[in-house]
Amino acid sequence: MTYHRPTCLDDAVALLQCAPVEVIAGGTDWYPARGDRPVTSDILDITRVDGLRGIRAAPDGWWIGAATTWTDILRAPLPPDFDALKAAACEVGSIQIQNAGTVAGNLCNASPAADGVPPLLVLEAEVELASATGQRRLPLAAFLTGVRQTALQPGEMMAGLWIRKPAPGRAAFVKLGARRYLVISIAMVAVWLRLDGSLIAEIRIAVGACSPTSVRLTALEAALTGCRVADCATRFHADHFVPLAPITDMRADAPYRADAVQALIARAITEAAL
Amino acid sequence: MTNIKPNSSSHKSDPNRRQVLAGSAAVAAIGAFGLPVGAQTTAAPAASGAFASLGVPHIRRDGAEKARGGAKFAAEYSYPGMVYGALVYSTIARGTITSLETAEAEAAPGVVLVMTHENAPRLERPEPFYSSPTGMAGSSTPVMQDAEVLWNGQPVAVVLASTQEEADHAATLINVAYEEAEAVTSFDVAAESAQTSFYAGRDLLIEEGDAETALADAEVSIDLSFNTPAHNHNQIEPHAVTVLWQDGILRMHDCSQGVDLSAITIAKVFGISPAEVHLSAEYVGGGFGGKTVWQYHILAAAASQLADRPVRMSLTREGVFRICGARAPTRQRVALGSDREGRLTSLIHTGTTMKIENNSMTEPFFEQSEHMYRADNMHLEIRAGTMDMLANTFMRAPGAATGTFTLEVALDELAERLAIDPIELRVRNEPEVNPTTGRAHSQRALVDAYREGARRFGWIPRSGQRQGYREGEWQVGTGMAAAYYPYKRFPGGAARITLNGEGGALIETAAADMGMGTTTATAAVASERLGIPYDAIEVRHGDNTLPGALIAAASQQTAAIGASLTAAHEVLLAELASLVPATSPLHGLPAAELGTAEGALYSLADPQQQIPLVDLVALSESGTVSAEAQGGPISEWTQDWSMHSTGAVFTEVRVNSVTGEIRVPRITAIYDCGKILNSKLAESQFRGGIIMALGMTLMEGASFDERNGRVMNPSFGSYYMPTHLDVPHIDVGWTDIPDPQAPTGARGIGEIGMSGPAAAIANAIYDATGKRARDLPIRLDALM
Repeated sequence: MTYHRPTCLDDAVALLQCAPVEVIAGGTDWYPARGDRPVTSDILDITRVDGLRGIRAAPDGWWIGAATTWTDILRAPLPPDFDALKAAACEVGSIQIQNAGTVAGNLCNASPAADGVPPLLVLEAEVELASATGQRRLPLAAFLTGVRQTALQPGEMMAGLWIRKPAPGRAAFVKLGARRYLVISIAMVAVWLRLDGSLIAEIRIAVGACSPTSVRLTALEAALTGCRVADCATRFHADHFVPLAPITDMRADAPYRADAVQALIARAITEAAL
Repeated sequence: MTNIKPNSSSHKSDPNRRQVLAGSAAVAAIGAFGLPVGAQTTAAPAASGAFASLGVPHIRRDGAEKARGGAKFAAEYSYPGMVYGALVYSTIARGTITSLETAEAEAAPGVVLVMTHENAPRLERPEPFYSSPTGMAGSSTPVMQDAEVLWNGQPVAVVLASTQEEADHAATLINVAYEEAEAVTSFDVAAESAQTSFYAGRDLLIEEGDAETALADAEVSIDLSFNTPAHNHNQIEPHAVTVLWQDGILRMHDCSQGVDLSAITIAKVFGISPAEVHLSAEYVGGGFGGKTVWQYHILAAAASQLADRPVRMSLTREGVFRICGARAPTRQRVALGSDREGRLTSLIHTGTTMKIENNSMTEPFFEQSEHMYRADNMHLEIRAGTMDMLANTFMRAPGAATGTFTLEVALDELAERLAIDPIELRVRNEPEVNPTTGRAHSQRALVDAYREGARRFGWIPRSGQRQGYREGEWQVGTGMAAAYYPYKRFPGGAARITLNGEGGALIETAAADMGMGTTTATAAVASERLGIPYDAIEVRHGDNTLPGALIAAASQQTAAIGASLTAAHEVLLAELASLVPATSPLHGLPAAELGTAEGALYSLADPQQQIPLVDLVALSESGTVSAEAQGGPISEWTQDWSMHSTGAVFTEVRVNSVTGEIRVPRITAIYDCGKILNSKLAESQFRGGIIMALGMTLMEGASFDERNGRVMNPSFGSYYMPTHLDVPHIDVGWTDIPDPQAPTGARGIGEIGMSGPAAAIANAIYDATGKRARDLPIRLDALM
C-alpha cells in the first residue's frame, strides 16, 4: 500500500491514470467505512494539492476547491445566498469532522443523507472533474447518480465546485433528526429564494434523505413562484412531492418522512424570507 | 403488613424532622433546599471553619488531574515488552465452532499469539453476581474453554501483537466456521416459557389480597401495557485492562467498580489465591453498573500467561456492546384500581424481561411499586425468559429506571380519569409505613418534595383537564412523576485511618471512584468524624490491597464507607486512649467517653479537657497511629427500617405538531435522599442521572436483530444519546433531612436521578398533545 500526497493537480491525476487508487481528502467518511478491514489499496490524499483548498470569488461566481473543509466554508465571507450551505456546514458531524471533512468528499461519498447536497443544489452548483485528459463540468444533480453512485469515471477526481453568481437572494437549511446535534438526517431541506416585496420572485427547493439522491422539487418551485411567503404552505399539493421516495429505516418510517418534509419546507421558506 | 414500628420514637425526636413536619415553609426556613447546610452538623464541639466538611461543596479531588490529563486510566499503563490484544467475535447466536483458521493471523506482522479455545489455559467458570457473596462476573459462561457459542458477539479468538493496529489487523485474518444451532433470539418466543424470577435472594412475586378481583370491582380502573428496549451504559471510558504476571502475582490495572470482588472472582477463575491478584483502578471513566468482570479481563490475563508478556486489552466501542452486558428489555403491565377519591384498591405491576441461562440478573422493575404507594391489594410479579444473547446486567437504577416510567405514567392516567391533580393522587396514597413490609420509614419527606417542586416549577394543579397550550407549531405541556430508589448498604465495607505527626490523616479503603466523587465525599466524612481539616485528609482507594471489599453499586458505597469510618474511628479512639499520658485528666477514660474534634482528643463529659492529636501521635512508637475496622452490621435496612429515597420530578415538554419533534426545555427535581454530603457533587449526580433518563426516554435503545441475535447499533453513531443541545436547564434541590438510620445521614444519590424523568416527560407529552406514549424511546414519529 502506498500513500500518495501530491502537491500539484497534474501529479494527482497522473497517479489516477496509472493504477487504482482511493481518493481521500478529510477521510471522515472513508475511514469509518473501512470498519475493521485493513487498508490494502493505494491512497491518493488530495489535501496537499496546490489550489485545491479554499474559496475564490471570480467575476461570475465562486470556486470552491475540492479540499475545502466545512470549517473553511463556515469562516468564508460569502453572501446570504450561501446561508443554507453555511447552516449545513454547522451540522455536518462534530466540529472535529467539520475541521477535516471536505465539501467534495461529502459529494463523492454520495450518501442520500449528505448534508451538503441540498444547499448546493439550490445554488445550482456545478462540479469540475479532472483527469489526465482534461477537465469537464457537470451540474451537481447529474453528478449524483444514485445511492453511493456518482458520474466519476475511472481516472477522474473532483477538482472543485463552481457556483454561478445568482441574483442576490437568501437561503436557509433545515435538518430533522432524533436529537439536536450529531445526528444523521431523517430529512433535510434547503431553500434559496429571491423576494419581490412580500412575493416570491424566484425559489429553489431541494430535499435530502427522502430519495436515493437529494432532489430539487421543480414543480413545487413553479407553484410557489409569485406566491406570498405566508401563503406558501397552502399551495402544497401531493403532485409536487412526486420526486421523493422516502424509505422506512431505524431513524423514521416513510409516511412520517413524507409528512415531515412538508413542514420542513415551510419552515425553511419562512426562515429564508426573514 | 402487621409489623410494629421497631423504634417509632427515634425519628420523631429528630429536630430536623419535626421542622419538616411543620410544613414546607419551615423547610424553606431552615435553608435546606439546595443550599450548603454546614450549620446543621451536630458534632460537638461544633465543627466550624476548616473543620466544617459535611455539606460543604468541595470540588472534586480528581478534577484537576483529569483536566490536566494527569489521571491514568486502565489502558494508559505500560510495561516493557507489553503487547496489545484484539478480539474476534462470533457472528452466530448459538452453535459450535467447526473450524478456526489462524495460520494467516499467526504469520501477520507483529503477532505474538493467537489464542482460541484450542490453546487457551484451562479456567474455572467465573462466579456471577448472586452465585456467591463475592461473585462479580456478568455470567458464569465459560471463557474460551470449548467450541460452543452462546451469543452473537462471544469472543472466539484473541490476538496479541506488538501494536494495537497489528493486533486489529491480524484479527481480521482469522476465519471461523460454525455449525449453527437453533437459537432463541425472539422476545416473544422466550416470553412463552418465562418463569417467575428468583432474584437477589427472593422470588419476584408479591401478592397481597386479590388484586385482580379488586381491579374488576374498582370504581375506577386502568390497565396498561408498556415496552422498554435494551440499553447500554456507554461509559465514556470503554472497558480496558492492562495485565502483567510478575513474581507470582497477577497484576491488573482495571476499570472496576469493585476492585476486591473483581480480584477474588478473577483469582478463582485462574485457581489462584486472591492474595496473588493485585488489582487496582484508581480512575474509572464511568461505570453505571457495567464495570464488573467480563470476558476481556480473563482473556487478557490468560493470553498474557500464555504469551508470557504484559498485555493491554482495550475494547472498542463495538467490543463493549458485544461483550459487556447492560439493561435488558422489558414488557410491563400496570393496572390500577381505586375508589372515587383515588384511594388505591388494587395495584398490579407485572411483566416479563429477559436474562440468559448463565446469569441470575433479572431487571427488578416492580421495586418502586412495592414501596411507594399504599394499596389494599397488590400483585407484583416479574417473569424472566431466557434468550441466547449477551448476559444482561445492572445499569443505573436497575428496575426503577423503567419501572417508575410505567407506574408513574399509570398514576397520571388514573389521576386524569379521577379528575384529581396528579400530585394530590400521590399524596392520598402516601403510605404511613412501608406498604409491603409494614416497617416504619427511617425518614421520608416525599410530600414536602412534591410541594417544593411544584412551587419551584410553577406547577398548575389540574383536575382531569389537560393544561397544555399551543405556541405556533409547538404544543406545550407539563408533567410530573415521582422518583424512587432504595437505600442499601452491602457488607464488606472496611477502612483504615492513619494519623500522622503533622495533624493530618490517611484514609485507606478499597472503594471505587468512577468519577462520582467518592474520594471527595470520603475525605469530608473522615474530616467530620475525626475533627481533622478536610485538606489534611488524604484518601487512597481503588486497590484490592487496601481494606474492605466495597463496590460502587446500588448507590450504597458512601454509606458503606461512612459505616466503616465510624467503626474505624471507634478503634482509633481506643488506640489514642492508650497513648494518653498519666498526667492528663483524660488518662484512664475509656474510648466510649472520648471523642475527636478540632484536631484534639477530648472528653465527651467535659469537652474543655483536650489533648492535641499531634501530641498523642508523637508519643507512639511508630510516629503514626493507625486503626482499621469493618463497617457494622447492615440490619438497618435488611431488618429494622423501611429506607428508601424518593423525589418529585417536573418537566415541560414542547412537541412540534407537524414533525413530532420533542424538546424538553425545563426540568425541576426535588429529592429526599437524607443528608446531602456535598451539594456540588450531588447536583452533578442528580443532573447526570436526569440526562441519562432523558436519553432513555427520547433516544436510547440497543437494536437487537431478532433474526440472528446481533446488536445492530454498537456505536455512538447509531445509538443516540443526548448531546449538549438536547439538555435543558435542570433545576435540582433536596430536602436535606438526615436519615437517622444511615451511617452519615445520607441514603445515596447515584441512581435516583435515572428514575422519574421518563414518566414526567411522557406525562408532559400527553398534556401537550393528548397522546399517551407507552413505549420507550418516544421518538418523534411515534407522536404523528
